[in-house]
Amino acid sequence: MIARATLDRLVLAGFVVLAVLLWSSTADYSGIAQKTSAKYVRFLAGSFGILSAAQLLMSWGSAGPEGPLDLFGRAGRFFGLLAALIAFALVFRPLGFFLPAAVFIPLVALLLGYRNYAIIAVSTAGVLLAVWLIFVQLLSVNLPGPTF
Amino acid sequence: MEYLSIVLAPASLLAIVVGTVAGIVIGAMPGLTATMAVALLVPFTYTMDPVLGLMLLGGIYCGAMYGGSIPAILLNTPGTPAAVATAIEGYPMSRAGRGPLALKISVVASFVGGTVSVLVLLLFAPLLARQALAFGPAETFLLALMGLAGIVSIADENTSLLKALLAGVLGMIIAVVGTDAMSGSLRYTMGLVELIDGINFMPALIGLFSMIQMLELAGQRHASAIDTSTLARAQRSEPMPKGIGRYMALGSGTGTVVGILPGEGATIAAFLSYNFAKRLAGAKARFGHGAPEGIAAAESGNNGCVGGSLVPTLTLGIPGNSVAAALMGAFIIHGMIPGPDLFAVHADKTYPFIYSLFIANAVFLLVGITVAPYLARIALIPPAIMVPVISAFAVLGSYSLNQSVFDVYLMIGFAFFGLILKKLGYSLEALILGLILGPIAEGGFSQGMIIGRGSPAIFFQSGIAKVMWVVILALLMPPLIGHARRLLRPGDARKPRP
Repeated sequence: MIARATLDRLVLAGFVVLAVLLWSSTADYSGIAQKTSAKYVRFLAGSFGILSAAQLLMSWGSAGPEGPLDLFGRAGRFFGLLAALIAFALVFRPLGFFLPAAVFIPLVALLLGYRNYAIIAVSTAGVLLAVWLIFVQLLSVNLPGPTF
Repeated sequence: MEYLSIVLAPASLLAIVVGTVAGIVIGAMPGLTATMAVALLVPFTYTMDPVLGLMLLGGIYCGAMYGGSIPAILLNTPGTPAAVATAIEGYPMSRAGRGPLALKISVVASFVGGTVSVLVLLLFAPLLARQALAFGPAETFLLALMGLAGIVSIADENTSLLKALLAGVLGMIIAVVGTDAMSGSLRYTMGLVELIDGINFMPALIGLFSMIQMLELAGQRHASAIDTSTLARAQRSEPMPKGIGRYMALGSGTGTVVGILPGEGATIAAFLSYNFAKRLAGAKARFGHGAPEGIAAAESGNNGCVGGSLVPTLTLGIPGNSVAAALMGAFIIHGMIPGPDLFAVHADKTYPFIYSLFIANAVFLLVGITVAPYLARIALIPPAIMVPVISAFAVLGSYSLNQSVFDVYLMIGFAFFGLILKKLGYSLEALILGLILGPIAEGGFSQGMIIGRGSPAIFFQSGIAKVMWVVILALLMPPLIGHARRLLRPGDARKPRP
């Protein structure tokens, strides 16, 4: 686990760098954009840089007792869900919604430690049926389907 | 009459009932909020008739604001953050066997608050929209700044003032990605064709307000057990206490005004109304031990936010809170840009939507009076079932709008990095407000600079612009002064800030 203050300062330092990069990038704006959009982006970059620097200075000035930051809680479950989401997104286009969802819902329920298989099966079937009835049949929403 | 007939058509009534009941169910589930529900469902309304889609979402908004109070009263588990104040008084009443009265007060107060605020919306929004016709590019830019200034009011004990502003500006910076409207050249797209039109704010909204809650629930270390003993305990039926109406009126007024202010949400409205009621009530000692007045004020306050938050959203394009921001997304995807046009060009859709909110209030009143005690059990649904279901909807919702898997990755990215920012004390409401206000601000700024021939004096010239600067300063100065005072106070300066 990382200390809250350390991560906070790292993020703020990153923001200052982002502000500088954003400001300097406006030199490449061409034509009318130099008189309009570039000025707007410089306004944003300037505000962002000043606010980030002020917050960074204040965080150093108020160095009190800082505990570690529990960012993700139970990391296995957190990153497991994240990985399952990415896998869902990857197969979404070829397989549509219903097939991946029929695997994703029980898999994540098991990942989160739920072991009542009957409830998992009924919930998965119930949700998919409800989605099909409400969105496809009742509301005529065009949900993606499998493209074999 | 023409608009009323649209609302009273069977398809419209069905959409309102489905939306409101779904809203109550979602609101009753701890961890799920109105913003999450509306954000999640906006993409699904894309292929629907715009009026029906908006009515469905409006119903969800109204229903979810009320639904949170049911488990708050019966299980001491607020379904939404706005129902925390209700739990303070409602749960002790349930433990004392007065649950039915608490539920009755809660639903009637929610109905009164919701109805009053929608009435205010109906009466004042067209007038305000007419004023907006006088706005030029300079005023449009200042309007966006005004919305940004409202961000400072989002700052609370978990979010420092500077971090709220930083999050708002970060949102505006993210909104810069895409094609430059002035020159047509690409900016910060990193060669990705998916970013040519900029970052779609719907995946961002779903990621920041729906998926983030699921990631938090998934990583939760300790799930606190819910005390269900009050559900089994005998509850007696009682008539409404005398004089409760004035607390409802107080909450309705407070909620509506708070809702109109950009950035202020239902939680603030509920607590503010609750505190006002505490001051107004003769026996302050009863508060915290089951005071019906507290429930009446808090519930009318949080539902009062519904209509209030839609006033700046529909008339000026400045969302009153995060739910209104999600609803604004629905208007935009249906080609209805918030502003004066909503009440002129799109009047046939806007007015039926507003009227539908009255019906949504009546629907939850009916549902609340008849089946509220049974709905409390929704709060007992295990998070391990809720998380994958909502996550699947989040993926589907992000994909549906543009049929783009890239949007799904964007949603996951916003959820992941948004969670880190949230844990560090940044306001996600401010971030999404910045993302929405960004294009409005840039358009106004760039056009203003062209009209003013490169001179920023254009932003100070008109009478409206001057008034707007005064409002911006009035919004910014008090919290900034308060913040500076806290920093200069020797004791507070050493305290760690979020």
